[in-house]
Amino acid sequence: MKRRQFLVQGGAGLIGLSPAMSLAELRLGAPWLLVPMDDAQSDHLKAYGLAFRLLSRGGRAEWLLNYRGGAFLMPADTATVRDAALTGVTTESLDDSQVVGIRGQLQNGNMDAVPLEKAPKVAVYAPPNAAPWDDAVTMVLNYAGVKFEKVWDAEVLGSKLSTYDWLHLHHEDFTGQYSKFFLNYAGSAWLLEMVERNREMAKQLGYRSVPAEKRAVAVAIARYVERGGFLFAMCTATETLDLALAADGVDIAAAYADGTPMDPGASAKMRWDEALAFQNAALELSPTVAVYSDIDGHQVNSPERRQQLGSFTLFSFSAKIDPVATMLVQNHRQVIPDFYGLTTSFMRKTLKPSITVLADEPGAPWVKYIHGEHGQGTWTFFGGHDPEDPQHQIGDVPTDLSLHPHSPGYRLILNNVLFPAAKKKELKT
Amino acid sequence: MSARSLATILAAFAFATAPLAAQGEGISRAFELERRGEYVAAADAYRAVLRASPAEVAALLGLERVLVPLNRPGDLLPEVRAAVAANPTSSVVYGIALRAWAAVDQPDSVRAVAERWAALSPGDEAPYREWGAAALSRRDHQGAVEAYRRGRARLQRPDALAAEMAQVATAEGRYTDALSEWLVAVRRLPGYRLSAEAGLAQAPPSARPELLRALRQEDELVASRMEAELRVRWGDPAGGLDALVAALPADRRLTVEALLGLIDQLRTLQSAEGRLALARGLEELANRSVDSERPRLRLEAARAYTAAGNREAARRMLSGLADDRRAPGAVAAGASAALVQVLIGEGRLDEAAGRLAETGPALSRDEIESLRLRLIGGWLKAGNLSKADSALGADSTVEALALAGKIRLFQGDIAGAVERLKRAGPYAGDREDATSRTALLAMLQPIERDSLPALGRAMLQLEQGDTSQAIVALAEVAHDLPAGRGGAELSFLAGRLAAAGGNAGDAEHLLRAAADSEAPGTAPAAELALGELLLAHDRPSDAIAQLEHLILTYPESALVPQARRRLDQIRGAVPKT
Repeated sequence: MKRRQFLVQGGAGLIGLSPAMSLAELRLGAPWLLVPMDDAQSDHLKAYGLAFRLLSRGGRAEWLLNYRGGAFLMPADTATVRDAALTGVTTESLDDSQVVGIRGQLQNGNMDAVPLEKAPKVAVYAPPNAAPWDDAVTMVLNYAGVKFEKVWDAEVLGSKLSTYDWLHLHHEDFTGQYSKFFLNYAGSAWLLEMVERNREMAKQLGYRSVPAEKRAVAVAIARYVERGGFLFAMCTATETLDLALAADGVDIAAAYADGTPMDPGASAKMRWDEALAFQNAALELSPTVAVYSDIDGHQVNSPERRQQLGSFTLFSFSAKIDPVATMLVQNHRQVIPDFYGLTTSFMRKTLKPSITVLADEPGAPWVKYIHGEHGQGTWTFFGGHDPEDPQHQIGDVPTDLSLHPHSPGYRLILNNVLFPAAKKKELKT
Repeated sequence: MSARSLATILAAFAFATAPLAAQGEGISRAFELERRGEYVAAADAYRAVLRASPAEVAALLGLERVLVPLNRPGDLLPEVRAAVAANPTSSVVYGIALRAWAAVDQPDSVRAVAERWAALSPGDEAPYREWGAAALSRRDHQGAVEAYRRGRARLQRPDALAAEMAQVATAEGRYTDALSEWLVAVRRLPGYRLSAEAGLAQAPPSARPELLRALRQEDELVASRMEAELRVRWGDPAGGLDALVAALPADRRLTVEALLGLIDQLRTLQSAEGRLALARGLEELANRSVDSERPRLRLEAARAYTAAGNREAARRMLSGLADDRRAPGAVAAGASAALVQVLIGEGRLDEAAGRLAETGPALSRDEIESLRLRLIGGWLKAGNLSKADSALGADSTVEALALAGKIRLFQGDIAGAVERLKRAGPYAGDREDATSRTALLAMLQPIERDSLPALGRAMLQLEQGDTSQAIVALAEVAHDLPAGRGGAELSFLAGRLAAAGGNAGDAEHLLRAAADSEAPGTAPAAELALGELLLAHDRPSDAIAQLEHLILTYPESALVPQARRRLDQIRGAVPKT
């Protein structure tokens, strides 16, 4: 069925979506649940988990783009009603005629309904013993109740990656330079452990150095996207993934990482055609400056270059023409306070022309949130480390998301998790 | 002097002071802009002052301050260079210069400034201290240590910069090295002792025995004081006091100073061990004090012993003090009051009543009233309800009504108890009393029967500390009452007591009885308590089921958010706090 045909069938079509109703369910009265995602919602983040678990049980839902903050429409089956009550997600009961009314509103405005059909199989790229509280995506997946598995270099370079629909990268340094913490945190137990673990993995997989092995991982991730995977990256993983991909035959790692100094002419030798998002960036040549290139606009670890945080604005897209971009920016807030990461933002001058900017800071030379296609798959990059901890420092206490159930920044992450659940053939961007 | 020459001098003076006045205005304006948070304008104003007077320290410091929130600390360098050129002997200017170079991450320039500054001030530690601080601001511990070592070598003083070295060692977790440096620093400047202890207190448990051993080996009071105070910080107040007492010197001034230091620290502890150590410390201090101070300290020690539950020691401190005609009046009265409290605590109520009657005239009205109510509470606890009732008389204060409510309750007069507890309201006693009285009232109100002697006996057993018998008795009364008419509330109380006493089986049974849908006011709390109990006994699946049942059955309960948070914690959805 074409998406348009599906939409015009209104309430009658929805009966086809609903699972068989039991007597108990019928006693519930209204057959539909609307999960509002505007200010009426008591826990925006857990609402995504509600949708995800419905899909995991084999159910189906619809994402009502631009309708009440990106609401979800679900069948009011017993399991979903119970789940919503347990997690404290606000729902509103609807009967068929009310649903038909909503559909009328969707047709007449910049809104649309996207069917959600299958829960994506989610993988998070993280070392085996990574602290679960130092990665915004892991935190929000745990909080929302979205199941995921962890993968690391062996799984990525093996065949397991192809079994996942969605892959998340966070603060991995794909240039193999340990996030350039090597000098500032020399002697710290956690850094020594990180270095040892990476060296051991590189050796085990037969690579001569950590940078060489990390580049191989980056290439494998790019191939995963090319073959139809969904990639979501935050913080320094965004920038370093592209740097590693473009550094084909170029030494961009400092001597402490691979035994040889960085090629002083590396910037001119980069193969940007192999990168996903960026081009023509100038690399940071000093091994003592915890900055990789001029891709990042904020340069948080360089005192003389660091830029202050502002706020970023989500773009509006046409829900009917650009459903993918529209899905990725669903939110109850359009302007969101910015937050630092090792890579906080992306300079406009380094973006490839083909990418879609989803959010930027008006008037600033950088953007915050970008999306693009690569082969049959898509990628989304979101700058910064933790949307609710703007100045995150190593050793800071973990963010407790129960204190931020309406976090608009974290919502953007969860938009990305549900995006692969949307009916693929209907998408057009 | 001619009029003309006077005019010339005045004119010259006016020309000389005009720039100064303008400069004063300029700096005032800059301060005001800074105070209002207009940092860009403030920076411009400070720069204007510096253009006229490049070595003006107030303006230079102001500019340094406002460039930080503007995130442009490196912009200070031109002004710093000008200031150094204008006043090449100012330590303050060098300090600012050093920080400016550090802010732009130029370690070679930092070093050069520090060396130049040190050459100008050959005996001064400041250049090396600032140099090290600049390195630390870049998290360059090694660079900081090198700066301090260079300072020591140049100054030819092995005790120079010891506190700074200690702080780096602490930051790196080298606690034994930190201790060595801190001892050097404290010997030179005793004021460093508290900083040393604050740093060393961070040592992990595994490192502590070695630190204590090293301190014991030092055989000097400064080390013993650090050992004692660290032991207190690490949860061993008695050990701390013993260590200090064993090392006290003959010099009374030093002894008193050391004991007072430890006592101040012990006063912050709320544990029974802490209170007991405080009482012992006060006793030690009293024994070493002059005669005029001793009675006050013995009284204070007695109060601390009472708070720690050691009535015998309290009595020992008070012996003779209450009747000592030489003791100051306030001390003797205080001792009498403390003695009455000790006697009440020991259950010697008649003796306490006699002592109170005897010493009453020396006490204030409030003290007498407070002790009288304590005494009635003592009779109440002893089960002598008639005596408590008659002593209370027709007193209608809220404190008396609260006690009267309890008396009626223990007599089994539920209606009378409810009536008096309601009248007492939340006003009698402290906050804890008020909360417990409200909870008691909430438990009694659903009971429709006016008289329940069995419940009175059970509550009296609880008051007397016989919890196990009270649980059995409460469960029996609860069994005879409908759940919605007080049975659930009594089961809930019995269940909580059993859980607190570690009797998980009885607790689960009683809490399940309390979680009755006929008592919707009690059931959610009982279910939450049951969930916690199951979790504490490693039954997370059962706990999850119970908490889910609570949420789904009582969605309007105020406890639902708490149950959801507990579920999130069990499932690892939020960090454990």
